[in-house]
Amino acid sequence: MEHFLNAFALALTPMSIAAIGLGSLVGLIFGSIPGLTFTVALALALPISFNLDAVPAIGLLLGTYIGGMTGGSVSAILLGIPGTPSAAATVLDGYPMTKRGDASIALGTAVIVSVFGGIFSLAVMIVSVDLVSKVAIGFGPAEIFALVLFGFSTICGLCGNSLIKGLIAGVLGLMIMTIGLDAIEGVPRMTFGSVNMMQGVNLLVAMIGLFAVPFIIEAFSEDPSKSANPKKMANVRPELPSFRLLFRNIGLMIRSSLIGTGIGAIPGTGGAIASFLAYDNAKRFSKKPETYGKGNIEGVIAPETANNAVTGGTLIPLLSLGIPGDPATAIVLAGLMIHGLVPGPALFMNHAAEVYGIYIAVIIAYAWVLGLQLLGIRVFVHVLRVPREILAVVVLVLCAIGAYSIRNSEFDIYAMAIIGVTAYVLVAVRIPITPIILGMVLGPTLENEFRTAMMLSEGKMDIFYTSPTVIVFFSLAALLIVFQSLSELKMKRKEKQKEDLSDA
Amino acid sequence: MTDHKLNYVIGFLLLVLSVVWTWLVIDTIPAGFGEGDIGPRAFPLMFGLCLSGLSVLLLLKSLLNGPRNEPEHSLTAEYQLSIHWLPAVLILIEISAYGYLLKTVGFVIATPIFVLFVMVVNLRIRSAKMLLGMSIGITLFCWLIFEKALGIYLANGSWINLG
Repeated sequence: MEHFLNAFALALTPMSIAAIGLGSLVGLIFGSIPGLTFTVALALALPISFNLDAVPAIGLLLGTYIGGMTGGSVSAILLGIPGTPSAAATVLDGYPMTKRGDASIALGTAVIVSVFGGIFSLAVMIVSVDLVSKVAIGFGPAEIFALVLFGFSTICGLCGNSLIKGLIAGVLGLMIMTIGLDAIEGVPRMTFGSVNMMQGVNLLVAMIGLFAVPFIIEAFSEDPSKSANPKKMANVRPELPSFRLLFRNIGLMIRSSLIGTGIGAIPGTGGAIASFLAYDNAKRFSKKPETYGKGNIEGVIAPETANNAVTGGTLIPLLSLGIPGDPATAIVLAGLMIHGLVPGPALFMNHAAEVYGIYIAVIIAYAWVLGLQLLGIRVFVHVLRVPREILAVVVLVLCAIGAYSIRNSEFDIYAMAIIGVTAYVLVAVRIPITPIILGMVLGPTLENEFRTAMMLSEGKMDIFYTSPTVIVFFSLAALLIVFQSLSELKMKRKEKQKEDLSDA
Repeated sequence: MTDHKLNYVIGFLLLVLSVVWTWLVIDTIPAGFGEGDIGPRAFPLMFGLCLSGLSVLLLLKSLLNGPRNEPEHSLTAEYQLSIHWLPAVLILIEISAYGYLLKTVGFVIATPIFVLFVMVVNLRIRSAKMLLGMSIGITLFCWLIFEKALGIYLANGSWINLG
């Protein structure tokens, strides 16, 4: 009870509420503009969170995450272009509704069901995160090493079409994090005598470079005459759905929330998969499946509920085990660590008030999202009219401010530029970026726990095969890799069969 | 460039990177003392070797798949379109120059110059109203929000300081 009261005191300060509101607003704007993902917004918000206390800081990040997830539906419904990948399924019925003149009700319903999905997943998360962390409480260095290795194997789900390229990206991330002073013995590694390099590559600087700079280069590379800027947009305002409509679809909302939370809890999946699965599920159980794709409101309810339910789901492995499920939660993880909130069982013992404060922050974020989207939709419509390349100029200045403000050093701006341009080239040659982040976030723990375990066992490797927990995590990691390799092989066989058929 | 040729180039470059990395690790980082102390060299060395292995795998994969298995459409317009070297190099130079300007003339002078340059060179905007509005507007907005409202330190110049 005392923890809850402290949590309320931490989360209900004017600074906390304002930070969460700012995050929600920025997330909504970034999420609603196609191409300007909320991951970019999170990377920019991270340095700002640096100056705040733990709960407002994490509230700012979660507000951005939640706002971004909800904001994706605005452009999906109004323009037929998803603001985020997780809103892709919303286009299928949301845009036909706009063409029919029902944009207002589609937007209003999307906001309400998004809040429902988010709060539902938060409740599931609160119950399960405690259970998972209670299991994890007896973990020693060997078990944590195995757990982090398992977390690292989720790269398989984040690596796109090529497992090898995903693993290469992961190893690159791990290599980057070994640069600087060694955490255990203080030996400089790959610093070339530079004092700036002693502190290593700053995680925040790397994240800004990896996510924001490629977007800026792409925006500047576009031919302005060919960019798909909305010229004509209906005069919209969100119209709240009737209770009857919501009550009629309550079963669908609960089903979609469960799908979203479940998918979110599996690292390496994300909102896009959840929303398409929920859409497919809704269509399968619908009495009028033939109306899907032609502006059926259920086709908006299912994906929007599911993609917001992902937000709670991803927090389960994040808070209890320290495993980020997607790039956005990897940034939230970095934010947690910067503020001394190291995820895992100890988090609930040492920082219970902050954790409960984060739960309250999620509820406040949804309240903000609801209010902002209902009141500010006309403004967002105007933001959607701003050309992407002009927004990129603003983002570029924000990136530089963000990188500089971390250590007040221009070295970080140079580092951001180099990392960003490298990331742009890597994306272009189809090497995924997310595994690099995963490597950078999990790398130091992986190394430190392995070295501590080896010191405890005096160099004997049996510490890694005598613990059942370690064996379980190793097996899960191996299973994930085998599963991904098999699905990659299957996909290639299908492609080959298609080619053979077309040749015939 | 076709898929397999591209993978060839990537594989080769990564192999070179991993060999240089491994050599530098062995040359500059001391090994552990044994008896449980694996030392600061072990992990960077292992990562270097892992990268070598994966690069060789990528090379082998593209060698085995070869152009005969390459679908015709993979002579991708996507690749040709997706790497825009000029904007990428320009951004690298511009951001680095902005970093230098922040150090020497501070945020308040460096930012409008930077925004103006980016809009003229990258976006080819010539409207004086737009150029002035954006460069002064962004500078003022950031200065008010970050420096004044949030208390985030924005760079002061070592030559001139207006912030």
